[in-house]
Amino acid sequence: MDSKLFPEGIERCSLGKFLAWLAFISLGLAWGAYAAGIIFWKGIGVTGLDNYFGFGLWITFDLAVIALGAGAFFTGFLKYILKIDQLKNIINLTVIVGFICYSGAMLVLTLDIGQPIRAWFGYWHPNVHSMLTEVIFCITCYCLVLVIEYLPLILEQKQLNKIPFLHHLAHQMHVHMALFAGIGTFLSTFHQGSLGGMYGVLFGRPYAFREGFFIWPWTFFLFVLSAVGSGPVFTVLVCTFMEKLTGRKLVDFKVKALMGKIAGTMLTVYMFFKLLDTWAWAVDVLPRMGLTFDQMFWGTVYGKWMLWTELFICGVIPAIMLITPAIRNRPALLYLAGILDCLGIVINRYVFTVQTIALPVMPFDKWYVYVPNWAEWAPSVMIIAYGFLVMSLSYRYLPVFPQEKALNAK
Amino acid sequence: MSGHATKEFKVRWGMVIDVDKCTGCGACMVACQVENNIAPATPEMDAWAGVTHDASNKLRTLTWMLVYEINNKKAFPEYEAAYMPRPCMQCASPACVPVCPVVATDKNEEGGIVSQVYPRCIGCRYCMAACPYHARYFNWFDPTWPTGMDKGLSPSTSVRPRGVVEKCNFCHTRFQQAKDKARQDGGDPNNLPDGAYVTACAEVCPTGAIVFGDLNNPEHKVHALAHSKYAFRLLEKLGLGPQVYYYSKREWVHRLGDNYLPNEKKA
Amino acid sequence: MGLDRRAFIKFVVGGAAGTLFTPIPWKLADDASIWSQNWSWIPRLKYGALTADATYSKLCPAGCAVKVKKVAGIAYGVEGNSANELSKGGVCPLCATGSQMLRSPSRVAGPMKKDGDKFKPISWDEAEALLAEKLKGLKGQDGKVAAISGDLSGTANEVLSGFLAGLGSKSYFYMPADQTAMAKTWNGVMGGSGQIGYDLEEADLILCIGADIMDAFGPVVRNQKAFAAKRPMEGDKALTLVYAGPVRNRTAAVADKWVAVRPDGAAAFAMGLVNLLAKSGKSASLGGFSEFADLAAKFGPEAVEKLAGVNAEALKDVAKALFTAKNPVVVVGTEPGQGAGVALNAAGVALNAMLGSLTVLPEFPKAVASAPDRAGLLAKDLVGWLNAVDAGKAPAPEVLFVYEANPAYALPQAANMAKALRKAGTLVAFSTFMDETAALADLVLPAPHPFERLDDAQNPYGLGKATYALATAVVAPEKDCKGTPDFILGLSGKLGVDLGFGAFEDVLKAKVSAIGADWDALAGGAAYVSDKKGSAQASLDAGALSKALAGIKGEGLVLVAQAHLNIGTGKLATPPHNLPTIRDTELYGKDVFVQMCSATAKSLGVSEGSKVKLAAGGADISARVSLYEGVMPGVVAAPLGLGRTAWDPYTKGKGDNVSKILAVSAEPGTGFSVWAGSAVSVAKM
Repeated sequence: MDSKLFPEGIERCSLGKFLAWLAFISLGLAWGAYAAGIIFWKGIGVTGLDNYFGFGLWITFDLAVIALGAGAFFTGFLKYILKIDQLKNIINLTVIVGFICYSGAMLVLTLDIGQPIRAWFGYWHPNVHSMLTEVIFCITCYCLVLVIEYLPLILEQKQLNKIPFLHHLAHQMHVHMALFAGIGTFLSTFHQGSLGGMYGVLFGRPYAFREGFFIWPWTFFLFVLSAVGSGPVFTVLVCTFMEKLTGRKLVDFKVKALMGKIAGTMLTVYMFFKLLDTWAWAVDVLPRMGLTFDQMFWGTVYGKWMLWTELFICGVIPAIMLITPAIRNRPALLYLAGILDCLGIVINRYVFTVQTIALPVMPFDKWYVYVPNWAEWAPSVMIIAYGFLVMSLSYRYLPVFPQEKALNAK
Repeated sequence: MSGHATKEFKVRWGMVIDVDKCTGCGACMVACQVENNIAPATPEMDAWAGVTHDASNKLRTLTWMLVYEINNKKAFPEYEAAYMPRPCMQCASPACVPVCPVVATDKNEEGGIVSQVYPRCIGCRYCMAACPYHARYFNWFDPTWPTGMDKGLSPSTSVRPRGVVEKCNFCHTRFQQAKDKARQDGGDPNNLPDGAYVTACAEVCPTGAIVFGDLNNPEHKVHALAHSKYAFRLLEKLGLGPQVYYYSKREWVHRLGDNYLPNEKKA
Repeated sequence: MGLDRRAFIKFVVGGAAGTLFTPIPWKLADDASIWSQNWSWIPRLKYGALTADATYSKLCPAGCAVKVKKVAGIAYGVEGNSANELSKGGVCPLCATGSQMLRSPSRVAGPMKKDGDKFKPISWDEAEALLAEKLKGLKGQDGKVAAISGDLSGTANEVLSGFLAGLGSKSYFYMPADQTAMAKTWNGVMGGSGQIGYDLEEADLILCIGADIMDAFGPVVRNQKAFAAKRPMEGDKALTLVYAGPVRNRTAAVADKWVAVRPDGAAAFAMGLVNLLAKSGKSASLGGFSEFADLAAKFGPEAVEKLAGVNAEALKDVAKALFTAKNPVVVVGTEPGQGAGVALNAAGVALNAMLGSLTVLPEFPKAVASAPDRAGLLAKDLVGWLNAVDAGKAPAPEVLFVYEANPAYALPQAANMAKALRKAGTLVAFSTFMDETAALADLVLPAPHPFERLDDAQNPYGLGKATYALATAVVAPEKDCKGTPDFILGLSGKLGVDLGFGAFEDVLKAKVSAIGADWDALAGGAAYVSDKKGSAQASLDAGALSKALAGIKGEGLVLVAQAHLNIGTGKLATPPHNLPTIRDTELYGKDVFVQMCSATAKSLGVSEGSKVKLAAGGADISARVSLYEGVMPGVVAAPLGLGRTAWDPYTKGKGDNVSKILAVSAEPGTGFSVWAGSAVSVAKM
């Protein structure tokens, strides 16, 4: 019925099936919207957050999706600035993933701050010394950049593109895309770094505190590296997931392997510095605060197993897998490496968010366990559902994958 | 430790808290709530929180002043206990101030009190993540007093809506009043005599364990006490430079004031 | 239509800039700033003239001299009154929220009469007429009218007890406290006069046996002040504090030494000290002392170790410290401030007498001439009487007045006591708050909040000098309440009982003038302090004490209830502002925690957080275990003041009432009801 709206020469499932799929997604959206309603009405007291865990699931979620959404700026950088042309086959997807991740994170942040209607104070009364100010500026600006990057794709929708004005607009935007990619790279690099910097500057929090270079603690650079070391493979995973879901080939495996190689290279660089940083933290930073490495961990929830998993199982191993062509070029192993890579970054963002503030700094204080409740899960699920929605609509109606027609030719 | 700047002040309001005299009675905590219009945790909130939100959930209560019970971590009969009241430390180099994205908290006024501007705060809670003393609290719900109790609110502190962070400000209105009085009496508002400005907790304390004054002023009791060999500050190694000192003649209490490596001697 | 590069840039920049030139974003931003801090449901502050009026707050058992702070005439806070000798500017955690409690949701709005399961409001005149009618027929019959008072220091008691005497009844009882046990000992068994005092201000060594002077014993704020005055931060301490008791409580936390003593062995410990001091040549000019010293000889260090769990060296160290101190004072009492027997108190008196520090305060002259003597009333055994009523061995009163007390909640074996109270034909509660006893009563006659009424305090127990303080009404009543003594004076007029006064103010004026104090000074907030000493003549009854001491076994698991002032008292449930001061190792959600050391927990097979049932005296409570190494082995500590069934949503239903499992027994030799350190069983649920 809606086949006229499909991209040129592409097949899609029936409208009925698609609507059923959307209905399924809407369940997640509805649950999240209900929670959001309660939160706006009653306040975030309805969540499992508390005065020890002011940051929790939401911030972890935001940081994780922002890191994983880094495929957008980094691929854009490689495609438009370094002119790696092959990436044109996946660049649209990276932009959509990036857009979903960033806009989703901003939605969650709106819930997360206690006074949503003062959200713009970050612009009006900025504290230039705060890493968070930089994050607010960069994330909102970069989200705009993503909108600008996403817009031409929408305008290229078959029916819309017939309108001359929109056609020309899309064309002009494409012409200037290198500029936006450049701006995006600058903004994104900075806020990825600032997110890391947010933790690194916490000199009252031994778990997170790091020294660094000029005004930036080492975590600043580590967060940038870890984001570019995982964002590209996340896009690959999203793409592969879509292929499994739709049963259609969307991107040539060579492109995926290239993305894996890019991520793997960055991950290797990241792991080198991350291991170095962890070592320096354990033997130098902590002892100066009168603390030992062992004191940074407690019980199962905050156990060392998490660190070892992050560093080795989800760090060193995927890095080796991704930089080794023989492994990288086998689809199953590429995806496995990608999953481990992304998992490692999520763990990293989690421990920096939660373990940092769970660690009792005053010797007479104790560890507390944080358990997110439904009011935090629901909006997070909502954002994932929102991502599915945007992706589903984009996939169905927009020319996202330039190779799709050729790859699926019978 | 890191390159954070420390601003110098001519007047530095601070406390010296005698841990050996604190009986942990809690009068300071109560007086603080009364002075600063902190509403009791409402039982009605339990249902919405889905978690215990009454006052027994210490992770949700608003206790600008909180009395910790500390112990020497030994078993009976070597066990010893003491009480440690913890207001905001009003650090010389606060961890919370530089992180605030909207300048809702600052350390700029003569006296060195770390301010908190409630109408400015967006409730991001980054300052809470930054403060290792847990001195900052978040208004998880709108404040509700038992019916009628809000008729007798203290004129000292405006009532905060939900969604903003708050903390001890050394009863700042009392500071203003003391300065106003000094001006009226022809005195110097920047050279208040000892006792002209006292916080609610220090005023109420039955054992006088909380001594308040200008740490920089030799005529104030706290000046000498803060320099005593029995005085120490919490987490000095982190470099926040608290303006609240503790005082104890017990070695184990001193050792609980900071983190020490197993073989490390106290400086 | 084409769009070239120029047009594209114009479109983007123009669109963005154009919006900014409309007032829309600016107006919205400005409004948002204003709205987000001025929601209509956020209470506004009231501004106006700031004043502070001195009075004496009797929210806590001993009372605090306070100044009630007001803004535009509305009370909002308190500050200490440093001009008053009683609390010298300090304020306890209960009185600190006194102004808030004026508008407590638990306050009784006006006189009420039980109507089925509910209360219905009545007028004060109706209440008076109703009671006059009931009492008319009971006049002249002893035991038909009874009263329980929880105010141990007020002259209001003279009005109430005088009224009862006028009706021909002797059944006037005080709520049990360390003071009543000491009155039974000193004024009853030992035949002394006046009131035992403790001159802590002059002491260079204070030994507390059981008495938690920083939290539960006597005038806590004055105790804290006396301690602090001798422990300057600059310079050397002039006072050593030793705490002997089963728990490293708030007194022990600031003490120089903690000697762990089983709560059931406190008297044996005290006798052990008597013995060692006697051996060192100390003696006392009390009647029967030599027989008493012979009795003490049975409490050698080894015996004390067995009965009290104190090792011999520790006992000798304490005796030595007492012997060498210049002005040692021994304070005896119990952790919860109730339930001690004659043996412990007699040993305490003897110790102080041997050390030359026995202080006796003279009684102030009475204002109501027909009122019975205070000391005699204090020595009476309320729990014993109610037990007899419960068992049907004593007749239940037709009318029972309860003044400033909450016996249905606060007495040991609370459930039985509530049953006994309910046997009264008409239970009348004079209470400011809707407490458990008021909820049980047939008639609730609201007393004004302490800030709203005229009241006084004579010699709160534990002081070292005879002291009198006056409380004046510094705020207008928030509710339709009436001063209880004024109501009683009105009632007595109707019944033809002449107490000599028409208004309570006249009673107090007469009192003040009899004392020789200045009304205006007292009303201004100062306390009257007299240096007069009472007679220290009394005698020790070694025979009775021998039997009492023989009852000590020093075995098995015993309960030590702890009274924490911040949690409240039997009379006052935790004020909303005090809830944050209760630790999560005492109360979490609906669970009260009992404390024990890991050794005890191990022997009971329980661990941190275990849900347990504590049973004693035919009752039980449920609780959770909190491991606390500051409790000696063989002892379980539990906080009093929780498990409220009345009051307001802030306190109701939180935890369980430990009073329920305080098992009462009659002390051998004296028959006095005791429950300190009673046995308890702990079973995992």
